[in-house]
Amino acid sequence: MTRVQRVESSSFNPLFREALSRWQEEVVQLDLVDPVTTEMVRLRCAEHHDCYT
Amino acid sequence: MFAYSVNMAPSTAQFFNEVLGERTHVKKELANIHDLAWDVVDKELLSLCKLRMAMILGCLQEVDSAKQYLDPSKSGAIAQWVSSDNFTSGEKSCLRFAEEFIIDVSSIPDNSAFAVREYLGEEGFVTFVNALLVVEQRMRLLLVWNKILGDNSG
Repeated sequence: MTRVQRVESSSFNPLFREALSRWQEEVVQLDLVDPVTTEMVRLRCAEHHDCYT
Repeated sequence: MFAYSVNMAPSTAQFFNEVLGERTHVKKELANIHDLAWDVVDKELLSLCKLRMAMILGCLQEVDSAKQYLDPSKSGAIAQWVSSDNFTSGEKSCLRFAEEFIIDVSSIPDNSAFAVREYLGEEGFVTFVNALLVVEQRMRLLLVWNKILGDNSG
């Protein structure tokens, strides 16, 4: 397995992309979980998904 | 907690509706991305992948839900997709990717990714991966919330 980008562009269906962004925005605005736990989970998920952005 | 009789399992959408309750914005956006995932990816292809993911994750309700859009010859053979003649090479590429996606998303081999990219095209590949993400996350939410709030699998 390489770590090189597998696609030239990450663009995809704009309606779908915008809807995903809205979903993520709504999720991060939930406030029932404290900020430290939220950040720990976010970092763990980023590591799991090999996401460094 | 929920207003269903013992023998009447609610649909996944109903379940999410009740769990999310008054969190109307999140509820609306989750429903929206799920609906859109099925609009932007071939429904049969996404159903195949959803079925395989639901089988591996043990999400019985979503197994049943995915089967309703598939030819029984395909849904019946999906556990043996590697050796089955019921699937095209493109479908097999997507099924392989979907399995690897849910088992270890950060270690998907290049060959698996490139095969799907070749089958769906560059933009189709990115769309497919995002649709898989939506379907997988929704399924995992269903499983976790079932554990916490009561089994919804019927």
